[in-house]
Amino acid sequence: MIKLLSLFFILTVFGFSQTTPQEGLSTNPVNIIYYQNARVIPSAASKQIFNSLIIRDKRIESIGNNLTVPKDARVIDLSGSTVYPGFIEPYIRFGLDEPKHEKRDPGPNPTIDRFGEIYWNAAVNAQRAAQDEFKYDKKLADELRALGFTTVQSSGLDGIFQGNAAVISLRDDVPNTLIVRENSAQFLSFSKGSSVQDYPSSLMGSIALIRQVFYDAQWYGKAWQAFNKNINQIRPEKNSALEALQPVIGKKQKVVFSAGSYLDVARAYEIASEFGLNAIYKSNGDSYKRLSDIKGMNAPLIVPVDFPDVPFVTMADFDADVNLEDLKDWDSAPENPARLNAAGITFAFTTDGLDKKENFLKNIRLAVKRGLDKDAALRALTEIPAELTGISDVCGTIAKGKLANLVIADKDIFDDDAEIRSVVVEGEIFEINKPQQTDVRGDWELSVLIPGNKLPLKMSVEGTKSKPSAKIKNNIAGIEAITFQISENKINFSLKGDSLNYAGILRFSGRIADDAASGHVILPDGQLIAWDALRKNTYTEKEEKEKEKPEITPALFTTVYPDKAYGRASLPGLPEYVAVTNATIWTAGNAGILENADILIHKGKIEKVGKNLSIPESSIKIDGTGLHVTPGIIDEHSHIAISRGVNEGTQAITAEVRIGDVLNPENINIYRQLSGGVTMSQLLHGSANPIGGQAQVIKLRWGQNAEGLKYKNAPPSIKFALGENVKQSNWGDNYDKRYPQTRMGVREIMWDGFQRAKEYGIEWQKYNDLSSSEKARKIPPRRDLELDALLEIINSERFIHCHSYVQSEILMLMRLAEEFGFKVGTFTHILEGYKVAKEMAEHGAMASTFADWWDYKFEVYEAIPYNTVLMAEQGVVTSVNSDDAEMARRLNHEAAKAIKYGGMSKEEAIKLVTINPAKQLKVDQYTGSLEAGKEADFVIWNEDPLSVYASPLQTWIEGRKYFDREEDKELRKQIAAQRAALIQKALNEPNSNGKKKKGSGKPGPKEMDDYHCDDVFDFMGREIN
Amino acid sequence: MKTLNTLMILIVLCFSCIRLASANDLIPGKTQQNPIALINANIYTVSGQVIKNGTLLFDKGVISSINNAKTGFPENTEIIDVKGHNVYPGLIAPYSQIGLVEIGAVRATVDYNEAGSYNPNAKAAVAYNPDSEVTPTIRSNGITTALVAPKGGIISGQSSILQLDGWNSEDATIKDIAGLHINWPRMTVSNSPRAKDSPEKQLEKIAENLNKLEDFFLDAKTYANAQKADPGLKRDIRFDAIIPVLSGDVPLIIQADEYKEIEAAVNFCNTLDMKMILLGGRDAWKLTDLLVENNISVILYQTHALPFREDEDYDLPFKTPALLKEAGVKFCITKISSDMWDIRNLPFFAGTAAAHGLSKEDALKSITLWPAEILGIDKNYGSLDKGKSATLVVSKGDILDMQSSIIEMMFIDGRKVDLDDKHKRLYKKYEARYEN
Repeated sequence: MIKLLSLFFILTVFGFSQTTPQEGLSTNPVNIIYYQNARVIPSAASKQIFNSLIIRDKRIESIGNNLTVPKDARVIDLSGSTVYPGFIEPYIRFGLDEPKHEKRDPGPNPTIDRFGEIYWNAAVNAQRAAQDEFKYDKKLADELRALGFTTVQSSGLDGIFQGNAAVISLRDDVPNTLIVRENSAQFLSFSKGSSVQDYPSSLMGSIALIRQVFYDAQWYGKAWQAFNKNINQIRPEKNSALEALQPVIGKKQKVVFSAGSYLDVARAYEIASEFGLNAIYKSNGDSYKRLSDIKGMNAPLIVPVDFPDVPFVTMADFDADVNLEDLKDWDSAPENPARLNAAGITFAFTTDGLDKKENFLKNIRLAVKRGLDKDAALRALTEIPAELTGISDVCGTIAKGKLANLVIADKDIFDDDAEIRSVVVEGEIFEINKPQQTDVRGDWELSVLIPGNKLPLKMSVEGTKSKPSAKIKNNIAGIEAITFQISENKINFSLKGDSLNYAGILRFSGRIADDAASGHVILPDGQLIAWDALRKNTYTEKEEKEKEKPEITPALFTTVYPDKAYGRASLPGLPEYVAVTNATIWTAGNAGILENADILIHKGKIEKVGKNLSIPESSIKIDGTGLHVTPGIIDEHSHIAISRGVNEGTQAITAEVRIGDVLNPENINIYRQLSGGVTMSQLLHGSANPIGGQAQVIKLRWGQNAEGLKYKNAPPSIKFALGENVKQSNWGDNYDKRYPQTRMGVREIMWDGFQRAKEYGIEWQKYNDLSSSEKARKIPPRRDLELDALLEIINSERFIHCHSYVQSEILMLMRLAEEFGFKVGTFTHILEGYKVAKEMAEHGAMASTFADWWDYKFEVYEAIPYNTVLMAEQGVVTSVNSDDAEMARRLNHEAAKAIKYGGMSKEEAIKLVTINPAKQLKVDQYTGSLEAGKEADFVIWNEDPLSVYASPLQTWIEGRKYFDREEDKELRKQIAAQRAALIQKALNEPNSNGKKKKGSGKPGPKEMDDYHCDDVFDFMGREIN
Repeated sequence: MKTLNTLMILIVLCFSCIRLASANDLIPGKTQQNPIALINANIYTVSGQVIKNGTLLFDKGVISSINNAKTGFPENTEIIDVKGHNVYPGLIAPYSQIGLVEIGAVRATVDYNEAGSYNPNAKAAVAYNPDSEVTPTIRSNGITTALVAPKGGIISGQSSILQLDGWNSEDATIKDIAGLHINWPRMTVSNSPRAKDSPEKQLEKIAENLNKLEDFFLDAKTYANAQKADPGLKRDIRFDAIIPVLSGDVPLIIQADEYKEIEAAVNFCNTLDMKMILLGGRDAWKLTDLLVENNISVILYQTHALPFREDEDYDLPFKTPALLKEAGVKFCITKISSDMWDIRNLPFFAGTAAAHGLSKEDALKSITLWPAEILGIDKNYGSLDKGKSATLVVSKGDILDMQSSIIEMMFIDGRKVDLDDKHKRLYKKYEARYEN
């Protein structure tokens, strides 16, 4: 019946547009509707509810109580029904092709075939437009209408710049009549989607590309303006993507940023802020983990309801494979919408992410049960998406003049068993669940009119009105009804004939009229015989036993930062005074090692170090008797706390990418390294290419957000690399084409890069010297993020940390730098530094090395553990680094190896991991030693810190205690208790058996992001190496 | 074409360099000619008390006495005053790829991973290079003895125990077949978006891999019985290698780390009544009852590791030795790594365990006597006792602490070992450069 009805509409309406020639006979259905006896909710905010509604010419003509029925209207009675504004899906691929993932050629894929005036990168397709490409998708439209949607914002959802979206009505028709808004927003993401081009392979590469594209768009606008004023210049290139972005950078068009985790939302926000974009962020439902950050953005979100499945906890064997983070996420995520709303964050719902879209309303109801205000839920389905998609003038509420988009439900839509009866899209009715009107239930007496053999049967029909079931008896015994179906007043059922003396199955059909029914039965032998029946008793609703539903309870534990094991409820406090007394203090400064000494900290800074200090009464006092205090360990070379790719190694020079864009404050290694006394790390790009990305110095402020980790006093730095990695020696046989393939070529490409940067600087200088009227007529230089970074190096504003091994390349880079007038800051790894230590000292380069690594590849076959001592002896400022998340926890022991290999003094050995790396990061005036005036970054050890038996008891950063072995013991107990409680909660869920699994519900340990600089991993899932 | 030629030249160049470089030119120690007495020594016998200011006398490669004697040595005794430094048994690396690889990233020098998954017949000793440049650097940190094992695949092959100062694999061999190595098939399921297969598919593959392994051993058993009945039957070289394992003459050294994997490996060995040594054993601390009950020893993967799971204690790998000791599981410490050279840090792996709950005495045992017992060479090695091999080292200070762990002398079976190495030579060379 339902199908028939919609088919009717297809036949009558599909294919209709003003320009389409009439084929066959014209159809002119009357679309004037008067809804009466309804409960019309015009908007979530409205205090008034109305009972009638008139629709004419696709629009709401009027809404009110007891409106006069227009003479030309079809009257529909909606007794008992509630009418809402049509729902709007702001984020979906509707009627656009799924991205095709073509196989990429093995080896490098640096370029693409260019067609038209497209951008050079295949992931940038800002010029695409949904309205030009979309083909109506009837199947998806049916699916969405069944959920109450009348309107969608559709985007291709492929690549980084995904093109313009369009807002489309879900009315079955040709595209020409369905577009509510063209170019409603430019869609962006961090994923290159179906692009097979190498660049970008990492998240930081995606971010750099996005920024460069926006700078290019800015330049493009200016360049054409200048050219149009003065055509006696070289004509700027034409570029359809940059052209399409002009309204975006001019804030005339919105951007929908398909971000994801709250970290990605924050990353997208940074970009939007840089370019002043009018942005909306598609999140992945974890925003509750950093609500204050999201709130601080003051920007709208698109929020999914694909809540995590119940963790897989039923099998004891897999117990350890689920972690606290996943358990807590499962328990908390359904509260995400409620918490967003409570925080005053504007958001719209999307079906995106749901495996089965049919669970959409069910999950929203769950969100309501978990504290989401119903009005807010309704707003997130109607008004807010209308506003975000720019269609508030015609959609989002039921109001005079707006499009007649309605959802008609049998009760409050947020009630568990509410059903959508129909949706109206631009005045057209789409029946969803037509209710069963005829009630067939009750006790019937049925007779089959076989001559001479009246067959009496008793049939009692129970169940629900729409899904009744039957029990049939004759005089002897119960008979199983094999099937029993009703459709309005039509009835069909079948019986086993055994106890009726028929061998086989009897099939009945008939119709019901009030308390009588009649029809025909086909006997097993094919004979057709009449039957009739009378209802003896009508059905009385029995007290339905409340189905045992799992109790909905709020999240068991509050959110901590990060929301996983060892997360913090709040930042550690900053005491006015802290003192460690009577300890052995390794100052790493001129005072050397002080026995029985005190250190006094005041508001995060070191006030004094010495013997018998006077300690203020209010001070927190730590008795250091038998204990040792050192400066916090500083790791010059680390790759912890980085999201989705440490290398953007897809081009030989990627100076434009920034580790600082992709910090991951959730990485557990931050906490683990605090336990090893590390307080500061330089997070470096990997070593896959000669000129890698920009580095980020952090302090290990566990519990802070990404911005809070950054150490703002550190000057900019960058990773360079030489040797086997950058010439792709160990990348496999497919990687023998990219320049450079030899150490000779490494020099040449670096020279070329610096020369380009130098010339770029001159070009800008010349331009900046022009008067403003001259500038208006002159095509400006194009801002190039890669050359910006290289120019900063030449200008000694950014410092190189260069991965290097053999002596030839070390000399090469120093001479190259000298040619361009700057110094190499620090050579990192530098395992043959001992061979050219004299030259390094003369140049002024510093060295950060491994204590004893060697032999893992040919270029380290001459590495020796005496390297540290030999370089230090020649006056090279030398440090020991980790490049390894595990070893970083034992850098004190790595420093101690300089005593074993070459007899370094203890005073000097401790400097290898404190003041010397501080000098290399150019932060030694702030930290790195225990001297008055410096930041209070220090570690309290149980033993001589250079002894293998030493481990940290406490680690302090800027006067705040970030690690304490005793507190850690408490945390362990807490973690165990929380795990146990959450697992028990999960076991009580019906789906905890792992049958219907996705995401965190699947068994198995979680992937961790532990990087070394050799890791060349494409975060989109393809391994390059 | 040009690039191809360049590449070829590079390969040839690399190859020739390595051949030239990889043969160390140190001469193995001469057979002990006359008795040697180490006097003024702190003797860490390991089996018993530390003997302060003691004397260790050895002759013909065997320890004759350990006492406080200062005089009365046999004629021709060479007396060496170790000036209060420490004497330890030679350290034993219970799992390594020493001599099977020269440079990890240079394929031509890698000899530990045969093609295919089932290589029970492959023998490490066959490929052992006694002249590796890496070996002297490992000796320099006190390691005299090592189990050298193939790795990769599911059945990797057979390991041997060698002393690290020989002319060739034959004179260096202490135990020809130390064990048959199995990499237990992975049983965890990854739900990473990077995972190739769905969890369901992965579970199927796990079962498939396990069945295949079990079937292989069952087939080998059938083969062994048939061979016994009719020695004329056609030989199967792979099944032949399983026979001594089924008879209990050779232990299975099974690498398994994860709880489910360890449990399954133990069950597998019990079913076929085979002797098992657990290699890896990251989660062994959770299964100590099972290990004790079945008398299974552990060659523990390493202390210098991150916890495998986020929720775990940050110091779990550091303290796993102490947890095993407390539960009565016999273990020794190693490092399983692609970086073969790193086994030279063995004393510090044990030192870390001592910093986290294991006694210093037990930490020392975990790299001397316990590996000797587990590998079945404790009759002659692993401790300083009268009648045992004079395989020992002299360290300036505490061998477990890098500050003082400076190896001054080494004897293997009484032969004085040259402790020079490539690193010391290059150190001297460049010291000389800067002196000028």
